[in-house]
Amino acid sequence: MKLDRRKVLLVAERDFRDAAGDFRLALAMAGLAAVVPVGVGFAIRALVVFGGGLTDLVQRVSIVGAFFVVFLPASYSLVLALESFVGERERATLEVLLSTPLREAEIYAGKVASVLGIALVLCFGALFVYCAVTFPGLGYFPLGILVSLGVSTICQVAAMVAGAVIVSANARTMRAANVMASFIILPMSVVLQVEAGLILVGRGELLWGFAAAMAVGAFILLRMGLRGFSREALLSRETGGRDRLRGALRAVAAAFRNAPSGPALLRARAGPILSALAAFPLGAVLGYLAAGLLPAGIARPLVAGVRSAGAPSDPASAALGIFGHDLFAVILAGALAAVTVGLTGYLLTAVPGAVLGYLAAASSWGLALTGILPAALVEIPIAAIAGGLAIHIGATVIHMEREGGWTRRLLAAEAELAKALLWLAPLILLGAILKAYLG
Amino acid sequence: MLEVLQVAKRYGEVWAVREITVRVAAATCLVLLGQNGAGKTTALRCMAGLLEPTSGRVRVGGVDSREDPDAVRAQVGLVPEVPGLYERMSARSYLDYFGRVYGLDRPTRDRRIGELLDLFGLSAAADRWLGTYSKGMRQKVALIRATMHRPRLVLADEPTSALDPDSARVAWSYLEGLRREGSALVVCTHDMEEADALAGEIGIMAGGLLLAAGDRERLIRAAGLKKHRQVIERPTLEEVYLAIIGKRTESEARPA
Repeated sequence: MKLDRRKVLLVAERDFRDAAGDFRLALAMAGLAAVVPVGVGFAIRALVVFGGGLTDLVQRVSIVGAFFVVFLPASYSLVLALESFVGERERATLEVLLSTPLREAEIYAGKVASVLGIALVLCFGALFVYCAVTFPGLGYFPLGILVSLGVSTICQVAAMVAGAVIVSANARTMRAANVMASFIILPMSVVLQVEAGLILVGRGELLWGFAAAMAVGAFILLRMGLRGFSREALLSRETGGRDRLRGALRAVAAAFRNAPSGPALLRARAGPILSALAAFPLGAVLGYLAAGLLPAGIARPLVAGVRSAGAPSDPASAALGIFGHDLFAVILAGALAAVTVGLTGYLLTAVPGAVLGYLAAASSWGLALTGILPAALVEIPIAAIAGGLAIHIGATVIHMEREGGWTRRLLAAEAELAKALLWLAPLILLGAILKAYLG
Repeated sequence: MLEVLQVAKRYGEVWAVREITVRVAAATCLVLLGQNGAGKTTALRCMAGLLEPTSGRVRVGGVDSREDPDAVRAQVGLVPEVPGLYERMSARSYLDYFGRVYGLDRPTRDRRIGELLDLFGLSAAADRWLGTYSKGMRQKVALIRATMHRPRLVLADEPTSALDPDSARVAWSYLEGLRREGSALVVCTHDMEEADALAGEIGIMAGGLLLAAGDRERLIRAAGLKKHRQVIERPTLEEVYLAIIGKRTESEARPA
């Protein structure tokens, strides 16, 4: 992908100046980025003075404070990123920008760089102010955790900005972009709460794991944006899209009709199916290893639950229950695959594998395997096929092309799983009967 | 300079442009006339390398827009119907930005921006934010922006719709100057008088179709005016246009 760095910087510089040129917005952002850290910093110092000194709890709260003051400016980046394309579209400046010899990648990268630059300057500015107010004279400076916080902030902001720019490029109005931003805000707020919780329980070093996960997420989103950004799609949408509901229903019907089935499907999706299958032994190993780590208070009810589920009093109703459960699991995995980027596909095989491994650790591999046979001979391939199709759905979600067609490809992937259920469901029933009567 | 060969463009199920073919040589002008929704803007976007035709080919200066759209856009200056200016930039910095985008060096940018702001009477307001400009001033800035790099092909969508008669005269005279210097022009307008004065060739579009294209005599023949009227004076362009559009409306209304 050709990218002229000077042109990227040209686009970024203009966008940066545009944001900074709005004095009310600039003042609000800079003011909050400075005032909030000062307030939080003084609150921490007050805790030290009036709350019994620099206790372990105060130390942890001081890190959560840093976390808070860094995230606040990061949230502005979301607003700026959402505005990047859809704002230009609403102000009718987009066509002019797109009519220049700038390449798609240069426009996209310039817009991302501008928002990222503003957000990171504010984030690190706020962190600097916070540190300057909070820590001097305390005899405590958590450098390691602050560095991990800084790195994880860069990755989080990059992921948020990249995601928001994709939303902006795909929305027709700012209102629609704001609604679609929930898909970024909600997962990010969960991540932040977990991170804050980890800091409070004294496991701040795990922030590095989040930083790595966010870096992967940012990379995927940036790649999606660069690959999927197309001036053709941006301009076409302005006039396209008549009778969308009927079009969507027709697309679903066509996707279902054209989806491969049986051996053709297995051949076409061999890669994801095999990777789903590979998650089963991996899950078994993890389950086996986890047996030694899980506290007995958690492990005993889990094992008891699994054993009682496998020993029903009435085989017919048990078979029906198992069938309903397994079918629901497959449908749920497919439905959630789009929002979990295919993770649920791996879980379909990894979780049974983990339970098997755990039981093996609690008893023996021989006993555990005997317990799941012969139903597993049917159930595991079914889980691998359904899991593979769910992984394919996830892969479709993160794959964008310049020519567009993201919705059509996603519908086609979902249709493959739906069509496969027509012959997977009887097999699930067979597995359930085997488990209920022979398991 | 510009070759549009059997170009069609479809948005979903709607054909905005249906297999139009036009050729515009260097230093000539094609004026596109047509009602709103006739497909003129989509046709211009295809010519500008902004949209890829669903079928057919667009070549600008021998470069195919499918093979190298960036090179096509570098040769084109597009004046959209809505000026689309960055409101928190001054006219000077706005034009300087686009001059940099088009790869003009600093002395050239400064000279061209100064000349054109003078020509359009905007020098005194050059350092004011564009958000404070009137509609006509904005349209002038858009025209300067699109042509400051001396494009080989100028595509203008209603370039004088918001201008007062005096400013419109300056704008048309400027476009005519560009044409004389060798640029090919494609202009969409509803101003028949100006179209008549400017155009070497005129194309009439309706429903995505190019109903007729050619010089005035050819259009008169296409309209069938010579057959029906024994007139001494030439029919006006407006009469020709209405006759051609009217013929199409009649043929659409006729039961199959």
